[in-house]
Amino acid sequence: MQAWFERVSELFQIAFVSGDRWKLYISGLGTTLEIAFLAAILGLIIGTIVALMKLSTNRRGKKSIWARIANVYIDLIRGTPSVLQLLIMWFIIMKSCKNGVLVAVLSFGINSGAYVAEIVRAGILAVDKGQTEAGRSLGLSKTQTMIYIILPQAIKNVLPPIGNEFIVLLKETAIVGYVSLTDLTRTASQISSRTYEAFMPLIGAAVIYFVIIKILTVLLDKLERRLRKSDNR
Amino acid sequence: MIIVKDLHKKFDDNHVLRGVNYHVHQGEKIVVIGPSGSGKSTFLRCLNLLETPTSGEIWFDGQLITDPKVNIDKVREHMGMVFQNFNLFNNLSIMDNITLAPVKLKLMEKDEAKEKALSLLERVGLKEKADSYPSQLSGGQKQRIAIVRSLAMNPRVMLFDEPTSALDPEMVGEVLDVMKELAESGMTMIVVTHEMGFAREVGTKVLFMDEGVIMEENTPAEFFNNPKSQRLQDFLSKVL
Repeated sequence: MQAWFERVSELFQIAFVSGDRWKLYISGLGTTLEIAFLAAILGLIIGTIVALMKLSTNRRGKKSIWARIANVYIDLIRGTPSVLQLLIMWFIIMKSCKNGVLVAVLSFGINSGAYVAEIVRAGILAVDKGQTEAGRSLGLSKTQTMIYIILPQAIKNVLPPIGNEFIVLLKETAIVGYVSLTDLTRTASQISSRTYEAFMPLIGAAVIYFVIIKILTVLLDKLERRLRKSDNR
Repeated sequence: MIIVKDLHKKFDDNHVLRGVNYHVHQGEKIVVIGPSGSGKSTFLRCLNLLETPTSGEIWFDGQLITDPKVNIDKVREHMGMVFQNFNLFNNLSIMDNITLAPVKLKLMEKDEAKEKALSLLERVGLKEKADSYPSQLSGGQKQRIAIVRSLAMNPRVMLFDEPTSALDPEMVGEVLDVMKELAESGMTMIVVTHEMGFAREVGTKVLFMDEGVIMEENTPAEFFNNPKSQRLQDFLSKVL
């Protein structure tokens, strides 16, 4: 028992303490969070715009040219692996850019936007059509009706799937090792190959991801409950 | 005030309106009745272009509003509409429901709109609900608020699309009372309804729609006591 305990403590020392390795995890986590956070915001902006494009109609109530463009974007993004999109962004489109984080944020943001667009579109369509009709019948324009009446109600509908998307995005950033960025996953794998001990670094990284996502989940739950409450005032 | 010429509306293969012609004068209270699927709601919704007519003309105050170049938002400012399902904005308080359009369309200052809203709310007996939310109100209260919301725009005509059909029977009266009072104040009204008592009492003209056309049109007394077409006689014998 004593021997086992000493062995674990030694492994822990190697994985986290000696050479101040814990600082590497922190810096890796920082990169992960930075990319995930900025990409989530970019994805939200792109997704909302694309959702509105996809819902736009022309005078005769048919799909507008904007809706067609939105469809092509969504098809392209959802039809290809995100690792490949990241590699294409890094080695082809932004070849001359040396800022890896920027490339990753753009790549993940554009990727996430396609999924967010469908979520937001569903959220808007779930708002009763009568709300739009009432707004328009009062003389409000399409845009005014959307901003003051439909979007505030759509936000409540989209919160659970958007939370889902954020969680997926956060974990998806683990692939940035492909373009030589040192995020949390890359850090763990580098340390395990340097120390020839895989257990502690990998399990440690997993625990960190888990805790971060648990915190995110709790925050999203709180926000959702607050928005629901305003429904029954 | 409103002139409708040879109005047609098709939903894909479904030919709902098959040539409606009518002339509404200032101050008239037109009540439209007919079996479901007769096109009466579609007719009403075409008047403020919530449905785009397939063909035909609609003139409002001398303006051809079916012309694609017309700014329909401007036209709708002058046409109030009340829906079967109330359609109050769920995310806004009663006060904001009423003041949103006049303020955002820059027709009134915020304070002025609030004052107007309060006096209208008082008129329908719901002043104390100004800070409530739609989910806290009964159906009858919601519909009275919906009427107030339209009136806050100072419309020249009010369209009612089966305003009491979604209400519990005990709440129908309070909404009809508000509509009667509105009629007495001289408002031009077009009402699609199944309330025959209201048609008889308040209407200046009653229209019977069936199969996408206006089959019969008359003063309430003649309409109910002396129906001419066989179709209307059958309909009345079922509903009265």
